[in-house]
Amino acid sequence: MGLFDALDTSGSALSAERVRMDVTAENLANAQSTRTANGQGPYRRKEVVLQEAGAGVGASFADSLRVARGVKVAGIVQDPSPSRRVYDPGHPDADAKGYVSMPNVNTVTEMTDLIGASRAYEANVTAMQTTKAMFARTLDILK
Amino acid sequence: MEAARPLDPSRPVEIYDTTQSALEKAILGASARQQAITQNLANVDTPGYQRVDVDFHKTLRDAMASGAGLQSATFSPRRDASAQVRPDGSTVDADVEASAQARNGLEYETLVQVSKARIDIIEAAMGR
Repeated sequence: MGLFDALDTSGSALSAERVRMDVTAENLANAQSTRTANGQGPYRRKEVVLQEAGAGVGASFADSLRVARGVKVAGIVQDPSPSRRVYDPGHPDADAKGYVSMPNVNTVTEMTDLIGASRAYEANVTAMQTTKAMFARTLDILK
Repeated sequence: MEAARPLDPSRPVEIYDTTQSALEKAILGASARQQAITQNLANVDTPGYQRVDVDFHKTLRDAMASGAGLQSATFSPRRDASAQVRPDGSTVDADVEASAQARNGLEYETLVQVSKARIDIIEAAMGR
């Protein structure tokens, strides 16, 4: 009902932004990993795809807002951009010419993403607080 | 708006008058708007998302002007096509949403306070 839905909406955004922060942290942690968990190639940067949550195509817009609300993580995809090539003949993963394929992680991009996710998280916490304050006001009528 | 009626002793006293039900409808409207703004803020990072809004002032104004009564007024969210489009196709501006939310929250609080003050008057008349 009403304002409770607004709380759920903000909650869905909080968890989506948390996923973004988790993935960014993973990218930064693996910025130098030349092997993935299954031992193939360098680590590839991951990115979160966000999608508006709703009842889907066909449902009326008002229904889509009533049924499922907020935002959801549609998936975590790999960044297809090419990996960095670094000349390091002593590295165990260097190829015949002495080049090592490093992850396509750019620290600046990750830091920017992190700040963006953190700000969006804060905005949604504020939204949640406003909703809570409004709800508390309504309860005052009963006093 | 219907004109104020002179007091008629043969009519029953309306405890819940037009103003009170208008206040209640406005509270419902502000709550619907809060939901729309929350939805926009939740999708602040969703590319291509189009912001939604509830213009409950207009809905109430129209319902009062048409004379059909406030009961018929329903608040439905609408896509806002007039908003500035970001490079990623989204029309959400976090600052716009935050100020709209602050404004709507204050308006809600005002409506609830006035509503409560009117209820308190009735209670005082009942000797509570």
